[in-house]
Amino acid sequence: MDKVEPKKILISPVTRIEGHAKITLQLDDKGEVSDARFHVNEFRGFETFCQGRLYTEMPTITPRICGICPVSHTIASVKACEMIQGIRPAHTGHLLRKLMHLGQNISSHALSFFHLSSPDFLLGYDADPAVRNIIGLAQQFPDIARRGIRLRQFGQEISERITGKKIHAMGIVPGGMSFPLTEENRKALLAWIPEVLETARIGIGIIRRFQEEHQEMVGSFANFPTHYLGTVGPEGELDLYEGNLRFMHADGTILQDQVPPEQYLQWIGERSVSWSYLTYPYYKPLGFEEGRYRVGPLARLNVASRMKTPKAQEEFLRFKAIGDGQPVHGTFYYHYARLIETLGSIEQIEQLLHHPDITSTDIQLHGRWNYPEGIGHSEAPRGTLFHHYVTNDSGQLQKVNLLIATGQNNPAMNRAVLEVAKQYVKGDALQEEMLNRVESAIRCYDPCLSCSTHALGQMPMVVEVYDAEGRLLNSRTR
Amino acid sequence: MDTLKMQIDGQWLDVTPGMTILDACRTHGIHIPTLCHLDGLSDVGACRLCLVEIDGNHKLQPACTTKVADQLVVHTDTEKLRNYRRITTELFFAERNHVCAVCIANGHCELQQLGYSVGMDHVRYPYLFPECNVDASHEKFVMDHNRCIMCTRCVRACAEVEGAFNWDVMNRGFNVRIISDFNTPWGESTTCTSCGKCMHACPTGAIWPKEYAQGQLKKNPGMIGELMEKRNMKLT
Repeated sequence: MDKVEPKKILISPVTRIEGHAKITLQLDDKGEVSDARFHVNEFRGFETFCQGRLYTEMPTITPRICGICPVSHTIASVKACEMIQGIRPAHTGHLLRKLMHLGQNISSHALSFFHLSSPDFLLGYDADPAVRNIIGLAQQFPDIARRGIRLRQFGQEISERITGKKIHAMGIVPGGMSFPLTEENRKALLAWIPEVLETARIGIGIIRRFQEEHQEMVGSFANFPTHYLGTVGPEGELDLYEGNLRFMHADGTILQDQVPPEQYLQWIGERSVSWSYLTYPYYKPLGFEEGRYRVGPLARLNVASRMKTPKAQEEFLRFKAIGDGQPVHGTFYYHYARLIETLGSIEQIEQLLHHPDITSTDIQLHGRWNYPEGIGHSEAPRGTLFHHYVTNDSGQLQKVNLLIATGQNNPAMNRAVLEVAKQYVKGDALQEEMLNRVESAIRCYDPCLSCSTHALGQMPMVVEVYDAEGRLLNSRTR
Repeated sequence: MDTLKMQIDGQWLDVTPGMTILDACRTHGIHIPTLCHLDGLSDVGACRLCLVEIDGNHKLQPACTTKVADQLVVHTDTEKLRNYRRITTELFFAERNHVCAVCIANGHCELQQLGYSVGMDHVRYPYLFPECNVDASHEKFVMDHNRCIMCTRCVRACAEVEGAFNWDVMNRGFNVRIISDFNTPWGESTTCTSCGKCMHACPTGAIWPKEYAQGQLKKNPGMIGELMEKRNMKLT
């Protein structure tokens, strides 16, 4: 019998994630998956074409990187600008920014869970792709679909009620905010709280039930140890807006704690690979091979000692119990972590809306260029985000480094795809379910590959099988 | 003779000798789009947006530099003119690098407003994407040549109102540029008084105050006309 040639399976494009990507699975001569590569084919070039622009323009330019998490980019950007100016934001401006950031986090998480992921949990992975989407969800579970859509609306309404715009808001500026929150808008936002709290609870109910009913799958789904990075406050509490960095080892020991974000380069290295536009960041002291770490909701909950608010804390303890003293490594738990963050964000928003100074007009301080370098960071919905600017003495950017959350998760995403493919792919047969599982592994990270492009539901998917010489052996289109 | 009679868009009007067709139109509430015209400054007919049709004259004439005359019959809003104005506007956008979404002047830009008013929903000409300099050497202001439309309002405001003569024009055609002094960085200018009149006169985001964020730019081009009016006031 002739020896079977090694084969390559290509899945392109991946549906229901932000942006576009393709996956190649390399089969060995036994037909077993030997390697998995998650390719990002889009080149954006922000770091290059921003050179020569004024640093003060960055809070306007960089949110355009993404329509899902523009506020996180703006926050990181204005913090970098404030470091260049050597100022701190005005008191109420600071509070309003937190409010904006929490709102965006909720809308992004709601999109990820209710619109993109929950059809898998409520309708099943094996459901017809034509209905396994938010529309299919709305037909079978109209209340849940409606609540999910309204939760996302709530997050966006925070931005709209402060700045007048839902997406790409202009109001977040170096030194604070351009717009105050009016009393009328404060009350209108407060009126949302009971409903969205209930929605977050329902979401948590869905994921917990799914986890209980599918213990084996959830426990083994792309479950592999990595290190973790997240932002914590002075007492180790999870903070999405500000704080210092905490690196946690895969075994749960804290590698570095309370690292000021400005020192990120000391701890994070980046390496380029020829087959993707995403770089491979790693925890420097452990090197490229051993230093793979993850960011995002799962990482944040793993590194945090506690949540800031009571209801989220209650859920946080349940989450921690899964790891039983160890970090929770199962990729599937990203969904659960995302919902716990959503719950905590809603509670924090309620607290902020009751803050006596939230409607004050002490919103902006003014600075000018003083230092050539600025580094800003924030916890974007998908993980820790860094903006690093170096300017000349006229304030024009000479170097821009944007370390994006999805970039940091990239090495782990590759690994997740490999783990799932090993489990579900046998030979070059391409079952619908296998494709969904591989996609689903990536979707756990809610990767934002380029911009706000997001495909709801079914997109044409082409799967091609190549042999070692690159000849097309098999092709399937759905 | 104190007044002349001329017809604009079918309406017979009394106009003052010596005034331009644009003045006559504005006096009588007839709208003509402009970019290079600014009250208080001399007119140069650079932007070609105010072109009008004059009976008996086969060439279109700029309303800002053409004087009124007795019995003149002028058309300001014909299909041909509307078409030409849209073409002109599209060419402004195609010529340099106008990215409204991230521009400091977004929402406060005369070119952007013009685009809306002529119904420009896309540009039919290929973008030239010229490599333009951003001069941020001045302590207070930035000159971004990407957003400059060569209306020369800054040049005239500096010369005619401030009297500093910092700004001038260099080269022709595609290579034309506004220059500071003898094409040296603005920050090294020996003539600039840092008064900011050029910034207020600039209709786009080409000249803007440093450290300002998008949405916070407030330009006051009307101040140029007001200053000149006050300057020419006879105090008794």
